Amino acid sequence: MTKTFTQDDLIRYIYDEMPPEEAVELQQAMLCDGALQEEYKALRATVSLLDELLPQSAASSRQGSSSKA
Amino acid sequence: MENALSDCQLVKQFLQGNEEVFEVLVARHQPRIFTAIHLIVKDRYIAEDLTQEVFIKAIGTLRSGRYNDEGKFKPWIMRIAHNLAIDHFRREKRYPTIVLEDGTNVFNTMDFAEAPYEIIQAQKDTKAKLRALIQELPDAQKEVLIMRHYMEMSFQDIADATGVSINTALGRMRYALLNLRKKLKKHHIAYDQNIYPR
Repeated sequence: MTKTFTQDDLIRYIYDEMPPEEAVELQQAMLCDGALQEEYKALRATVSLLDELLPQSAASSRQGSSSKA
Repeated sequence: MENALSDCQLVKQFLQGNEEVFEVLVARHQPRIFTAIHLIVKDRYIAEDLTQEVFIKAIGTLRSGRYNDEGKFKPWIMRIAHNLAIDHFRREKRYPTIVLEDGTNVFNTMDFAEAPYEIIQAQKDTKAKLRALIQELPDAQKEVLIMRHYMEMSFQDIADATGVSINTALGRMRYALLNLRKKLKKHHIAYDQNIYPR
């Protein structure tokens, strides 16, 4: 059965708080679900914008640690 | 100051008497702590003082031998920062808030809620606007957003620190991001979904 992912799941994924197996499932779901992928992009963009307030060094260290492949 | 040692290793060295290593911990965590406190107290100079106080308090606890965080220095010091900032904020605040289930302050929904004065007055600078929009978020949503994004606390740590369930913390973060997204659009602050890495 295909799992349905929510915005809360996307947030857990963006913040690296999702177990690896579930993250893979979410990535696969996004490949087949355009709406889910768009929602992910929108949330990711909002989260990334928050980094604007961080000093350069702290922002780049986050990007290195939390960017998704 | 670059240093490849982990926080845990640095704390261990500090506890063994090499107090100079604390400078590395300060350099590593000060930017985020300052940014988070600044967002809470909204005053740069108070934020600088409180950031300094965070590290003084941390040193005091380390020296007294009361430190026992099982290797989690960052959540521990972020919690000190959050508590100090909130204590300060509460001391300064002169009106009560009623927080609804979704983290919305009930007064935000009333007609006499303040106009977004900060927005109007904000410089035409993305950072200033963004900071002002974050300040407009209901307190509970703003709190979770600052703790998760700027203090890098996990949702579980946030839930423990604020006395709510992890689902509530996550839900408040969701409302915070969705509200912020709406405000960004409303104020025409550019955020290109395609320029940020996945």
